[in-house]
Amino acid sequence: MGSSGSGVTGACVEALIARVEAEERGAAFGARVAENQRRVFQIAYGVLGNAADAEEVAQEAFLRAYQKFASLREAEKFRAWVNRIAFRLALNRQRGHRRRLARDTVWHVAGTSDAVDGARSAEERVLVQRLRSEIESLPEKFRRVLQLSIVEEMGAADVGAVLGIPAGTVRSRLHTARKLLLEAMK
Amino acid sequence: MTKACVKWKEQLLEAALTGTAAGDLEEHMKTCAACAAEFEVLQARRERMDTMLPLVARGAELPGEFRARVVAAAEAESERKRARSVGRWVLVGATAVVTAALVMGLLLHWRAAPTTLEAELSAAERLAEWRAPSDVLLQIPGQEILQTTPRLGESYMKVPINTEEE
Repeated sequence: MGSSGSGVTGACVEALIARVEAEERGAAFGARVAENQRRVFQIAYGVLGNAADAEEVAQEAFLRAYQKFASLREAEKFRAWVNRIAFRLALNRQRGHRRRLARDTVWHVAGTSDAVDGARSAEERVLVQRLRSEIESLPEKFRRVLQLSIVEEMGAADVGAVLGIPAGTVRSRLHTARKLLLEAMK
Repeated sequence: MTKACVKWKEQLLEAALTGTAAGDLEEHMKTCAACAAEFEVLQARRERMDTMLPLVARGAELPGEFRARVVAAAEAESERKRARSVGRWVLVGATAVVTAALVMGLLLHWRAAPTTLEAELSAAERLAEWRAPSDVLLQIPGQEILQTTPRLGESYMKVPINTEEE
């Protein structure tokens, strides 16, 4: 009777420990999401130009991070990893969109109106749309640096970590990108 | 901007981006109104661009419940994975039990029944021993003597006669 009682207690304790661990994990993950969500969303939005798509990409990036959360407990590791994965997911989604747009030009017309849903006034919308269009025409290595550099809290080191290039190269490419953009925005 | 001033274009762009004109460009702009005007235009455009560029990435906001939604989705996904994992182990266990039962059954069956080769040999032996009931009708008188045919130089008279039946 005693051994049976202690067995039940042991199972209860184990279940309790597992539950507490799951709750701690959930709380820690929630804190990491809160710290990074704005930036991750902006990374995706900068590439996609559509809030709904960017939100989905951000969610997918965090869900993937949760699967690897055991190795991403450190704030810096989590930040770098989630930045990188969000950027890649956004680029993948953009490629998918482009393939679909190439198949159906009607969607292309509809898609351009969604691409500026963040800007406030009509004039701003037009200008942001123009900027986005000019950014899209930049050579890829400059475009990627610019897309990431305009995100809040993304310094040259963070951009470099996402793209796998030194911070100095990021600064140099950013300068060239801005120059090309300034020239194009006549 | 005159044709002669084209050579200053690159420096004007650089100056507009950095906000400071190099010494020689500054000297040139003192005497060239077109380049000075172009510099002003470029600077204004750069300021506008710098104001608008963040909107390309920061133009929209996440909904307030995003964090809660992500955490809930992550936990649900984790729970689904755990359930799938448990289901997989249950399936593996059930497969192992069924396989073991089949193997045990086959082993027991093989032990209880003679092997196929032995059964075939036994059947062949029985077939060889078998006699049709009509074999008796084919017997002839003296067959017994004929069955023990004397060798060369022997006589039928010397062939032992089975007297036990009589």
